[in-house]
Amino acid sequence: MLTRILDEPSGKSLLRKYAIGAPRGVVVGTPQEAQVQAAESGLQFPLAVKIVSPDAVHKSDVGGVVLGVRDADALRAVVSRLIANAQHKGLALDGVLIEEMAATGHELVIGGIIDQRFGPCLMLGTGGIYVEVMADACFSVCPIDEHDAREMVEQLRSLPLLRGARGKPPLSEPALISALLAIGGEDGLLMAMRDELVELDINPLIVSRDSATACDARIVLKTL
Amino acid sequence: MTPDSITSRFSPLFEPRVVAVVGASANKISPGNEFIRHSRALGYRGHMVVLHPTAESVEGERAIKSFAEMDETIDFAYIAVDAPKVAGVLAAAKGRIRFALVMSSGFGETEAGRALEAEAVAAAAASGIRLLGPNCLGVYAPRAGLAFVGGCSSQPGPIGVLSQSGGLAVDVLLRGRERGLRFSALVTIGNSADVGPDELLAYYLADPHTAAVGLYLEDVKNGRRFFEVLRASRASKPVVLLLGGQTNEGRAAAASHTGALATDVSIWLGIARQTGLTIVPTLEDFLDTLLAFQLLRPRLERPTTSAALFGNGGGTSVLAADAFARRGLRVPRFPAPAIAALEALKLPPGTSIVNPIDAPAGTLRKDDGGVAKTILEVVYGLADPDAIVMHINLAVFGKSLDQRADFVGNLVDAAAALQAVQPSGPHFLLVLRSDGSRQCDDRRRELREALLHRNIAVFDEMTNAATALGSMSAYEHFRYRQGSRAAAAAVENAPVRIA
Repeated sequence: MLTRILDEPSGKSLLRKYAIGAPRGVVVGTPQEAQVQAAESGLQFPLAVKIVSPDAVHKSDVGGVVLGVRDADALRAVVSRLIANAQHKGLALDGVLIEEMAATGHELVIGGIIDQRFGPCLMLGTGGIYVEVMADACFSVCPIDEHDAREMVEQLRSLPLLRGARGKPPLSEPALISALLAIGGEDGLLMAMRDELVELDINPLIVSRDSATACDARIVLKTL
Repeated sequence: MTPDSITSRFSPLFEPRVVAVVGASANKISPGNEFIRHSRALGYRGHMVVLHPTAESVEGERAIKSFAEMDETIDFAYIAVDAPKVAGVLAAAKGRIRFALVMSSGFGETEAGRALEAEAVAAAAASGIRLLGPNCLGVYAPRAGLAFVGGCSSQPGPIGVLSQSGGLAVDVLLRGRERGLRFSALVTIGNSADVGPDELLAYYLADPHTAAVGLYLEDVKNGRRFFEVLRASRASKPVVLLLGGQTNEGRAAAASHTGALATDVSIWLGIARQTGLTIVPTLEDFLDTLLAFQLLRPRLERPTTSAALFGNGGGTSVLAADAFARRGLRVPRFPAPAIAALEALKLPPGTSIVNPIDAPAGTLRKDDGGVAKTILEVVYGLADPDAIVMHINLAVFGKSLDQRADFVGNLVDAAAALQAVQPSGPHFLLVLRSDGSRQCDDRRRELREALLHRNIAVFDEMTNAATALGSMSAYEHFRYRQGSRAAAAAVENAPVRIA
C-alpha cells in the first residue's frame, strides 16, 4: 500500500476540524519572516520551532525541534540554525513551523489504526514519545462512547500520577475524554476517515488542568 | 436479524431431519463412516443417506448415486471427499442441501488449495448452500444426535462451542465431558470460508438452549461484524474466548507509535473490556471457566469479590488464598459474629476458623463428616460470603487406616444439601484434590458425576477454582457496571417534575 504522511501543520488543521486543540502557529520560510509573522499573529513567547520536512519522520532525532524560544531575537537565530541544519543534512524543507508552547501538563498519546479485521481502533497511552518504553497503553475498537473513554483512562497504570499523586497537578479528565471521543467516537475522526486513514499519532497530547492540546501529530493516509 | 430468524435459519444444522454423508466407504472406516456410526450411537433418529458412486448401501444406510434421486431437501450434508471433488459435489446438489460441512483439507490453509476453496465457496453460493469449513471435523449436536467423534455425552447442556480447530474441539468435547461440561452444540469451522464466527456467535447468543458460549479462534474473518455482534449482545450471555496464535508483535511496518503498540493481544483486551468477553489463555482455563458458567448463577446484584475457603490442608489454604488474590478475589477474615459462632463449635485443636477455615482431617471426621453442615451453616448464615470454596484432599481420607465411615461422601453430601436450599446464596465450588492415584482419580470421577446431577461444580485444584471464579467475577462486574449505567441514564433522561 502506498502511503503519504500529512505534514505537521496539515495534520493539526485536520485535528482542529475534529475539535482537538493544537497550539496557535504559522509556517514560515525565513528567519525574517518568522520574526514578522510571530509579531503579526500575536504569538505569545516562549515558542516552539520545528522544521516541516517530508524527510524527517522523527523531527527531534535530526535536530529539527527547539522548544522554549524566549524572544524575537532568539526566534530569528533558531529558525536560521534549523534551516542551516536541515540543509546540511540534505533534508527537503517545506518550511519552519513556529507555534506557541502548550500549557504544562501530562504527556499522553492518542493514536488510531485501521485494523484489517476490526476496523478503526483507538489507543490511549502515557509517556509521550516514551510511550513504547512505558508500555502503558490500551486500545478500544471504535466507535467508543463516553463510558469506554472513561474506562480507557482508568485502565492506565499511571492513573494515580495523572490524577495528581505527590503534588503534581492533576489533568483534566473531561478534556481527555472529549479528545478520545473526538478521535474515536461515533462522529470522530477515525470513523469518518476509516477508508483513507492508515494510522494516526497525536504525540504528545499535553493534558493540563483544563485542556488537552495536540503538540505533534502524525497522520498517515493511503495514497489514492 | 431477530433472535427468532437466526435460530430458525440455523435449525437445519443443529436439528436436521435429513442428513447426507458424502465420502463414507463401503468397506473401510473413513471419517464419513465415523460420523454415521457415532451419530447413530448418540441417537440420531432422522433420515440418513449416503452418496456413493457404486455401493447399494453403506453402514446399513441406503446409498444413492446422485442427489437427483432424493425427493427431500437435505438439512445437513457431511462431505469428506478429496478437495478437488468438493466443488463438483456442491454444484450437483443445487437447491437440495441447506448446510454442508466440508471436512476435507487441502483448501485455503495451503497455498495450492486457495483456488479450490474459492471454487467450493462459489459452488455453494450458486447452489444456495451454506458452507461450514472446509478443513474441519464436524458438528456435535446432542439434541439431534449428531457426533463426529466417539465418547461424546448424549446428554445436552447449556454450553455452545465454536472452534476453528477440529482437534481442539475433540479435547473440548471429551475432556470437557469428564469435567462435567454439557453442550447445546459444538461446531468446527476450520477455514470458515463461508459461515464465520460472527454468525455462529449470533446464533448461540439467540439460541434458547445455550446459556454460555465458548469460542476457540485463531483468526477472525469478519472481525468487525464479530465485534458488533458481541457489543450488541451487551453480555446477555457469558462468552469465553480461548485465543490461539496471538502474537505480541506490533505491525512490522508501522510508522507510528500506535501501530507499533497495536498487537493482537492489546486489541483483544480492548474488546474484552468493551463487551464483557472473557479471554482465557489455556484449554484448562477455558474448560474451568465454562464449567463455572454452566453451573453457577451469575450474581448480578452483588458481584463476587471475595470467597470463603474451607477444607483440609494448611499449605493448600495459604496457596489457595494467593491464587484467589491473583484473580482479584479476596479471602477476608470473617465478621466477628461468624468467628464467635465457629469458636462455639469447639472444633478440635489445629482448626483455623477465621477464613480460610483450615480443618485437618481429624476435624472433618467429626460426626462422620456431618461437621461440614455445622461449619457451613455458620458460614452461610453469619459470614455471607460471595462464594464458598470447599476443598478435600481425597488421598488423606482414601489412604488412611480410618475407614469407619465414608467421610468424604458425607462431607460432600452435607455441603451439596446445604447449597441446594440457597438458590440466591453464594457460589459454591468444590475442589476434590487427587494425588493422581487410580483410587483417588476414580473416586473423584464418581463424585463429580454424582454431583453434576445436583448442579455442583467440581474442580481439580484450587487454582482451577480460582480461575473459574475469577472469570465469573469479571463477568458479574461487567454486567453490574452496565446495569448501573443504564440506571443512571434512566435517571438522567427521566422527565423533570416541577413541584
